[in-house]
Amino acid sequence: MNLGIRRTLDRVFTGLTGASIVLLMLVLVAVLGPMIYRGSGAVLFGGTIEFRKMQRDLFNRADRAALEAEIAEADRARQVVYDMIDRFKKGIDIATMSSEAREINREYGRELRYRDVASEEYTEAREVARIIRDKLEEAFSSQDIALIRANVAEVLAQKDEARFKGTVAERFFSLATDFLDAAEHIDLSHYHDYLVALDEVEVILFGSIEHPGLLGPRPNQSARPLAMTSYGATRWDRAQALLDRLLWAEKWVEKEPGQPLVKARSPRAALFHDTALEPLFAYVPEHLNEMLRPRFTVYWQFFIDDNFDSHYFGGVGPEIIGTLLITVVGMLFVVPLGVISAAYLVECASEGPIMRILRMSINTLAGVPSIVFGLFGLAFFVLFLFPKLGFEPKACILAASLTLAVLTLPVMIRASEEAIRTVPRSYKEGSLALGASRFRTFVTVTFPAALPGILTGVILSLSRIAGETAPILFTGAVAMGPVPKSIFDPTRTLSYGSYDMAVGDRLAMMVPHNQYGMVLTLIVLILVLNAVAIVLRSRVFKKLKGH
Amino acid sequence: MLGPSADRRRPLALTPGEDLVGFIASYLGRAVLFLITATSVLAVLLILLFVILRSTPFLREFGVREFLTSRVWRPTADEPVFGALTLIVGSLYVSIAALLFAVPVGILAAVFLSDIVSWKIRNVAKPVVEILAAIPSVAYGFFAVLVLAPWMQRRFGFSTGTNALNASMILAVMALPTIISVAEDAISALGRELREASYSLGATRLETMVKVVIPAAHSGIIAAVVLGMMRAIGETMVVWMASGNATQIPHPWWDLSQSIRTMTATIAGEMGEAPEGMAHRSALFAVGVVLLLMTFVLNIVSEYFLSRAKKATGKS
Repeated sequence: MNLGIRRTLDRVFTGLTGASIVLLMLVLVAVLGPMIYRGSGAVLFGGTIEFRKMQRDLFNRADRAALEAEIAEADRARQVVYDMIDRFKKGIDIATMSSEAREINREYGRELRYRDVASEEYTEAREVARIIRDKLEEAFSSQDIALIRANVAEVLAQKDEARFKGTVAERFFSLATDFLDAAEHIDLSHYHDYLVALDEVEVILFGSIEHPGLLGPRPNQSARPLAMTSYGATRWDRAQALLDRLLWAEKWVEKEPGQPLVKARSPRAALFHDTALEPLFAYVPEHLNEMLRPRFTVYWQFFIDDNFDSHYFGGVGPEIIGTLLITVVGMLFVVPLGVISAAYLVECASEGPIMRILRMSINTLAGVPSIVFGLFGLAFFVLFLFPKLGFEPKACILAASLTLAVLTLPVMIRASEEAIRTVPRSYKEGSLALGASRFRTFVTVTFPAALPGILTGVILSLSRIAGETAPILFTGAVAMGPVPKSIFDPTRTLSYGSYDMAVGDRLAMMVPHNQYGMVLTLIVLILVLNAVAIVLRSRVFKKLKGH
Repeated sequence: MLGPSADRRRPLALTPGEDLVGFIASYLGRAVLFLITATSVLAVLLILLFVILRSTPFLREFGVREFLTSRVWRPTADEPVFGALTLIVGSLYVSIAALLFAVPVGILAAVFLSDIVSWKIRNVAKPVVEILAAIPSVAYGFFAVLVLAPWMQRRFGFSTGTNALNASMILAVMALPTIISVAEDAISALGRELREASYSLGATRLETMVKVVIPAAHSGIIAAVVLGMMRAIGETMVVWMASGNATQIPHPWWDLSQSIRTMTATIAGEMGEAPEGMAHRSALFAVGVVLLLMTFVLNIVSEYFLSRAKKATGKS
């Protein structure tokens, strides 16, 4: 072959090998990047006044006096929004207005009866009031602006009548004025559309029983059962998203028949063109800051708080506790077993069939799929061993820990074995030469020298246990439930929680920061453990080599 | 204690007769240590025993033939059918697809780490592989569902983002650290002589690698691939979350954009709904047995190639 071609091929090959490593780095960035970026949002974000209210109510954590003052400030800015909506509603909500007219009529009658008037006068006044009511109701249900004007004018003609002065009937006239004012500005033939559009705006602003809103429920609204809908946007990014939904109406439209629907955006303000509500769409974006008062927040309590409404609010405290519990209990079993096994393999065993069987078993154990460990844990620990020992045969921390201990046993044995092997022979020989027994030599000389290396193995097993999910699916992990009281209770864990939130319901998708926050917590925990192990290993390596 | 006044004619070591307690303790100690070490053997045996025991009610009732040949897996129907063929094919399908991605990259990366870069760069590149290995599988699954799946759906217009391609790509990433480290060990264990001989004959690095080093290290590389396969076939969370879990064999067979379902995902997904004492539950244990046997076979194959690689480098 031509030398040039050979050289080019060689370069291409070298480039490809480099590219493979670059590819791995890119994969690492692609996997960790989104998790770090979005997960850190669980702890660092712009917290609004609603967040501080939520913290005060759910976690009893606030500077109450300062918060009260702040809430008062925010409410002042919000009042404008409330007023705008109420005013617009007056002209649009016909059912409410009709019932109000009827209510006024009834109350007026009651008032007359108490006031002790002559019977003819009473009958006449009732008659006039009833006519006013009918006129108003006719006007409310009409779509003809001329008729409305005429009816309202007729009603208002009664305004100066002496008999209505200072009575509840005066409300008739304010009702009529407000209605005419609104009716002049809206397209009466579409009043139903306005109602629908207004309802949408109200849900976005104040939330509903299932959707959290931008500002949260209005001060006089009744309390909602769920915590998630009892507060407005607690985070500035969430507030921005809701603001966007407030300003832009989205609709699925069919561009061409038979084609999939496409999303089309139009300014929502156009729906309320020329009405009392139109200024709202300028006011809210301009004063959102005053209404929500965002502030950069470091929510470190994410790592200790329990959650509310399937992780809509709160943190991953119980998950961290559960993960640590399972890990620690598992280590209690696996560390002694692993170290002793490793010691036996290095110090006592001689090559032979027994040794081969031991090695073979350890390798086989390392290759058993994690889900099979789950099956084994369920069949052996939970359903077989627990009833034999008098425990309740149910999934619990102890079962999960035991299962994971068996799973990590090979990791622990291999790491400890390597650690014990790297102890220089001279240490051991020195000790033996002084007359110490082999047992004594191991305990006082070899083991302390191997300890840092064994610790590395411990940490690697820790990180393996903390991250495994499949083996604990049936042996001890739950998605929801109380914090465990003993090792005989099942627990939430970071790993199972990450799974649950990733494939979970709509609710988890509404809080991507908590979704990613959970998995980021898990990854950080494991990577920190691994980093410690790597550093420890390189130090030990250097130290033992130095001798 | 041997004091300065001790009898100088005595032998230095104690005989069993003189130190009976020590002698017994030493043997007893060894026995205890052996028993503790044998826990691993016990664990393997118990795993085999219990998983097989739990699956026997099903195998006795329905028989092995239907289990291994039927393509219909309908465990909750009135007339339940347990055909695991689709699941077995699904597991092999994603694992082999994953290897197609992972093996070329893995071998190139192993060559890069062992033969091309200096020690310093290697110390930077190696942790990347170690971090990839340390990330828990549920985190990969999380990434597959929430990042990769929507992206693939948007980018390639698949009907679903959770499909065989998604699962096998993630499995490839998860198998890579294993493949790289075992293959790198095999390649670098060959020593300088072979390489130097090849270079001195005027071969380029490509020729040295492809014609000399990789053929010489083939046992280790095959072991690496088998270990990677083991990792992929036994992986649960990723395939459960990313493969779509549709009980079907892709048709046409090369269409990776279809959803499939593996053995591991079936066990993980259906165990919670399979009540104790039902055929469904022991059928899932039977799937576990198949899985276990597959990994045993792969394990033996990898051991064989690893020991061959050891012998080969031992001789050279």
